[in-house]
Amino acid sequence: MAKRLLPTGSALVILAALAGPPGAWAATDPGAVTWNPVASERLVKLPGSYLRRAIDNDFAGSSLASEIRDVQGLMSLKAQTLADLQNAVEQSDGDLRVELQHQFLAEKREYLELASKHQDLRRQQMTVKQRLLRRLLGKLDRQEAANTPERAALIEKQEAARSRLEGTISQVDIKIFNNPTVGQSKYSKEYAKNVLAIERLVQAIKAHPMNEGSEIDGRPVTKKEYLRQLMAETEADLQIVDQEATVLGYMAKLIALDALALSDLLSDPTPGDGSDDDDGEETGITAAVDFFVAQ
Amino acid sequence: MKTKRYLIPAAALLVAAFGVPAQADTLENLERERALALETLLSPDVSPAEREDRTALSRARLVDLERMVMRDDNLKGKNTPAVRTAFESYDLTFLVHASVERNRSLVDHWLEQVGVTTNSLMSARMGRR
Repeated sequence: MAKRLLPTGSALVILAALAGPPGAWAATDPGAVTWNPVASERLVKLPGSYLRRAIDNDFAGSSLASEIRDVQGLMSLKAQTLADLQNAVEQSDGDLRVELQHQFLAEKREYLELASKHQDLRRQQMTVKQRLLRRLLGKLDRQEAANTPERAALIEKQEAARSRLEGTISQVDIKIFNNPTVGQSKYSKEYAKNVLAIERLVQAIKAHPMNEGSEIDGRPVTKKEYLRQLMAETEADLQIVDQEATVLGYMAKLIALDALALSDLLSDPTPGDGSDDDDGEETGITAAVDFFVAQ
Repeated sequence: MKTKRYLIPAAALLVAAFGVPAQADTLENLERERALALETLLSPDVSPAEREDRTALSRARLVDLERMVMRDDNLKGKNTPAVRTAFESYDLTFLVHASVERNRSLVDHWLEQVGVTTNSLMSARMGRR
């Protein structure tokens, strides 16, 4: 009966199909989905906390982000199917069990395809983000290089002049504008009025949550340091994606072994355990490891 | 989500539009007014009363213009010969504030800055060049 449902030939075809690395199955068409952020002057000038949000928002609006969301949705649906099938396999026996095991294998293969595609997309996201951060850092470096010693000396002189002038303002006002023929100018009156309003607005801007300076663990840092921190975080995310590729590789190996076991079972219908134990590990796709280590 | 997507660029545009107000060349205006004030002070064709009147008005205008230059953020770090020279000689550029600070009349302060003092005049000898 089992042979009718699943002939040995087709088991070998499954085995051959399942034996390849997960990357080879992935049907990602590179270049179809993109995220092209621009390292604009505006982005360089943004306060640290807002910079991260601006990058995230830009990404969220890209076709790459929507593809990642779609694949993620498909992965959770597939995980649900795998859970249902796993239960069905445990509760069935005989030919139906073999048929369900076959389906379970096929679904696991599709899950791996999706997981592999998801990884490729995330790797693309991290690579683009890192390139963007590198460009922003380069722009910041160039801006600093433009601040020559002569310019710095001029700014210093201007600041000294400003404080000298500020120190004499009231003295000048008393001496010049106390003269009844002159009176205070329109500029002086309007300026004094506006200064008050400006000070209140400046205080409101300083206190605004969207104007928070760059911080790492509550410690204020420079824009360059903040960008370097973002780059390190992105690099860490890339490393995690690479580590997950190893998990996928092990999953693929287990599917191949399961397919071999199923093929053995079909050629010799005495029930064998056919299970291979392997240690699954942590995070993300690791939630699906149970489907692969269990028979 | 859609509204948020439109709000962020709109906010950025708003900041770009109102962030840096357009400025006339404050330093040029100050230098023009100062040149006219000095011309009035040194002109032999003007009567003392008229000079006093004109100087009083000029001084008030110069006070405003000097403050405008000092508060002009466009000049900050603007490494041009005009800006460099202006801030290299505070006493000549911000003539009114500097003269009040030193408790001197405008003309005395200017003459001192260009190297003409009572002592230098008294010790000068008449001769043929």
